[in-house]
Amino acid sequence: MREEDKERGYDFHKASHTETMTINMGPSHPATHGTVKFFLTLDGETIEDIDVEIGYLHRAFEKECEAQKWNGVFPYTDRLDYTASVLNNVGYAMAAEKLIGIEVPERCKYLRTMISEMARMSGHYTNVGAGALELGALTAFIYFIEARELLWDLIESICGARLTHNYVRIGGLTNDLPDGFRENVKRVFAKNRKLWDDFDIMLTKNRIFLDRMRDTGGISQKDAIAWGFTGPCLRAAGVPYDVRRAQPYLMYDRMNFDIPVGSTGDNFDRYLVRMEEIKQSMSIVEQCLEQMPEGPINVDDARWRMPSKDDSSTKMEPLIFHFKQIIEGQSIPAGEAYQAVEGANGELGFYLVSNGGGKPWKCRVRPPSFALTSALPLLVKGSMLADLIPTFDMINLIGGECDR
Amino acid sequence: MDSIVSLITQPLVLELLITLVKIGFILGLTIGFFAPMLAWVERKQSAIMQDRVGANRAGVFGITVIGLLHSLADAIKLIFKEDFIPRGAERGLHTLAPVIAIIPSLVVFAVIPFGGQYTLWGHEVNLVIADLDVGLLYVFAIGSLATYGVVIAGWSSNNNWSLLGGLRASAQMFSYEVTMGLTVIGLVMFYQSLSLVDIVAKQENFWHWGIIWHFPAFVLFLGCAVAENKRVPFDAPEAEAELVAGYFTEYSGMKFVMFWTAEFLEMVSISGMCVALFLGGHHIPFVTQKFLLTAFGDLLGQDIGAVVVMLIGVGVFITKLVILLVLQMTIRWTMPRFRYDQIMKLGWKMILPLSLCWIFLVGVGILTGVMPRP
Amino acid sequence: MAINIKKVDRNVSMTFLERMYIPYMLHGMWVAIRHAAINMLGFFEEILAGKSKRQVMTLFYPEEYPDIPPAYRGKPTLVRRDDGLEACVACGLCEAACPPLCISIIGGERENGERYPVTYTLDGTRCIYCGFCEEVCPKEAIVMSDRFQGLCEYDREKMIYDKESLLVPREKLQKRLDTIRNKYFSEKRYR
Repeated sequence: MREEDKERGYDFHKASHTETMTINMGPSHPATHGTVKFFLTLDGETIEDIDVEIGYLHRAFEKECEAQKWNGVFPYTDRLDYTASVLNNVGYAMAAEKLIGIEVPERCKYLRTMISEMARMSGHYTNVGAGALELGALTAFIYFIEARELLWDLIESICGARLTHNYVRIGGLTNDLPDGFRENVKRVFAKNRKLWDDFDIMLTKNRIFLDRMRDTGGISQKDAIAWGFTGPCLRAAGVPYDVRRAQPYLMYDRMNFDIPVGSTGDNFDRYLVRMEEIKQSMSIVEQCLEQMPEGPINVDDARWRMPSKDDSSTKMEPLIFHFKQIIEGQSIPAGEAYQAVEGANGELGFYLVSNGGGKPWKCRVRPPSFALTSALPLLVKGSMLADLIPTFDMINLIGGECDR
Repeated sequence: MDSIVSLITQPLVLELLITLVKIGFILGLTIGFFAPMLAWVERKQSAIMQDRVGANRAGVFGITVIGLLHSLADAIKLIFKEDFIPRGAERGLHTLAPVIAIIPSLVVFAVIPFGGQYTLWGHEVNLVIADLDVGLLYVFAIGSLATYGVVIAGWSSNNNWSLLGGLRASAQMFSYEVTMGLTVIGLVMFYQSLSLVDIVAKQENFWHWGIIWHFPAFVLFLGCAVAENKRVPFDAPEAEAELVAGYFTEYSGMKFVMFWTAEFLEMVSISGMCVALFLGGHHIPFVTQKFLLTAFGDLLGQDIGAVVVMLIGVGVFITKLVILLVLQMTIRWTMPRFRYDQIMKLGWKMILPLSLCWIFLVGVGILTGVMPRP
Repeated sequence: MAINIKKVDRNVSMTFLERMYIPYMLHGMWVAIRHAAINMLGFFEEILAGKSKRQVMTLFYPEEYPDIPPAYRGKPTLVRRDDGLEACVACGLCEAACPPLCISIIGGERENGERYPVTYTLDGTRCIYCGFCEEVCPKEAIVMSDRFQGLCEYDREKMIYDKESLLVPREKLQKRLDTIRNKYFSEKRYR
């Protein structure tokens, strides 16, 4: 209608003496929870213009990396996508290993695959659950939070923390699986599958939810690729691009799983893709546990793993080497490497440059949600204010990852 | 002493006293019992549905009464909270708005019969505050006043979010007012009365209950009522994720409590309406009042028996009320919310035509004798 | 192995029941009511039997204590040896490995030539509980305890822990020390 008016040279606002309303949405707003600010121009309920301001969680991650030794970066990568921390750990470790040119042992790869998928599940649980919450369905949200809590109990039993796992190291992992882990996985996944079904019943067929999600915030395949979309949002648009499939890393080429793909790229497709990925991730975790061989979890090369204590506490030379490793840092050969992993939101890339010293010379992160957030005006312009909420949620801006 | 007795036994004074007692009972039931209890029920029921424990900490000397004291603690907290009026707000209207919002939901109770008619010690007692001939019209007339409170609150707060909430609320409540009125037309045709007391009286036989003959109207009415009350899934005017808190964003302390209480009271009054219109008021299925009166009359004597039956009637009414309240609570905790334009679309394009259809069907049913009128 | 592409079901052509809003709302409500019923049953069982395991997820926190796995990383603590002296030899490795630089040590020497930390300061406001100090310590002198309570203060000065407040007798940390043995000393790690 607006377009026709324009052609006729008819200005609706002038004719009806109405003005647009400019309004600040965020950073202190229930939907933006402190991480982002929208500067909205509203015509009644319709969004005329939107200006996205990010950077409220900027903490100079990339610069901070340059002050840390190679291994000291890990705790900070945890705080990128804090809903799926281990994925960031894995990405960084793999980039560093690519720079060195080492292969981690098989068991380590399986463990990393397994815990990556757990982290992906945790990310999707948070995202989909929060989507339900912001549309007002609190009970469904709590069911997924419950599922996530159970999952975090598992992760906590492996690496000792629920949110900032700090589990992966260059050349391996900190530790192996605890006792009784397999039984716990079986128990937790049985419960989580039930909760998944409950969530599905409450929302997926509910017409209110369908109306809210479907045909809102849609994006075409071409636009999605042009704006640099990756991950569930790109797959929702119908492009079957998944880093796990396009450039198989770790043990993904041995896993048997489906990549869910949508067709129109709207919020409902994003929601369905994420829901399906939770299921697929569960199956991948189970496959990993099934296939996992016995064996070491760190590379058998003292230069590239965290120093081992059993040698350094008994022998002199390893102790001296241990001290050198920690105080000076591992001297990773000069060069540069880019390694992408499939993060919870999309392609999470780490670009590392080394000048041969004990610290990264440059660590650049390709955050998936940055590209997604930059397309937000495209997705919501012309739609209603209420559509901004599910769209923004399904874009899944994680402040820690986007702002770094 | 004698003079007081003779004063009381004068018909007019007695009538006045009985009405005062009824008003006191309704006020006590709604503000004194249901408002704090619903706050507790909302917390506990949601907690139990969501695998949580719910509020259970507030206690006096370690006695927590499964969280019941939280309502008390909340009340004390909110009374002593700062009453904040934002800069640039219209002070007078800002203060007036919660009052306008809360009064209609209380006044509606005047015409809702909550226990039936009895003869006690030779005196006629009708358990309704005001037996209006046009009770149903009165309910809608008063109910539409609540819109003003919300709109004034949204406008006077000098906040864009409040304004949007107020706008949404005005459009939504006006539309659903119309639709809600239409949903009960079929009932009026069926019972041939606008008086709620009459309608309840005609539902003495279980097979004449509104819900049996007018189930679609019941569903539509309940939907409209929830929309009118602005609760999930129709809570676009106060949509937390979009409009912060909608029209009461800028309210705090007791004024906030008044909006909050208004919501709960409106829930109660809606449920009361539903019980009166569809669920047979104070009647127990398959048990007539006459049977009860004779049974208890034989057992305890005429007057005492009538009192007992009256109490049973009130109890049955409250039980039905509570069932409907719990139903509304369950809806509130499981549904996502509509978008604002979808609410309007649902109201005008779905519920309104459906209720018109229902009126037509009821008309046909009555004419052809499929629906025997009581 | 196979990685397949699976098209998700958008449910565009809704069935009549789905169009009518209410049937699937009732289904959703049924799920919630089922959870409620199971939990109520759990509460009743608890009241009657006294020890039945609740269905609810949340804990009555100060009365009930969460299960803390042996791997848990809580407040870093220094190990006090059985003879009452600190196990730390002030080598400064934790200081070097600490990512947020929250540890500072001044080393000294006892009469018998043994090195010990004269001061050992851990800045609780900076610590991120990453566990690197424990991971690099060659003497098992600093470990992450399972303590997670009382780490917040109204006064930042109180969060700067000195040596005395960090020291914990070895017996109390035995569980964690065993975990560390498993974690960082096992041959399995790389061979």
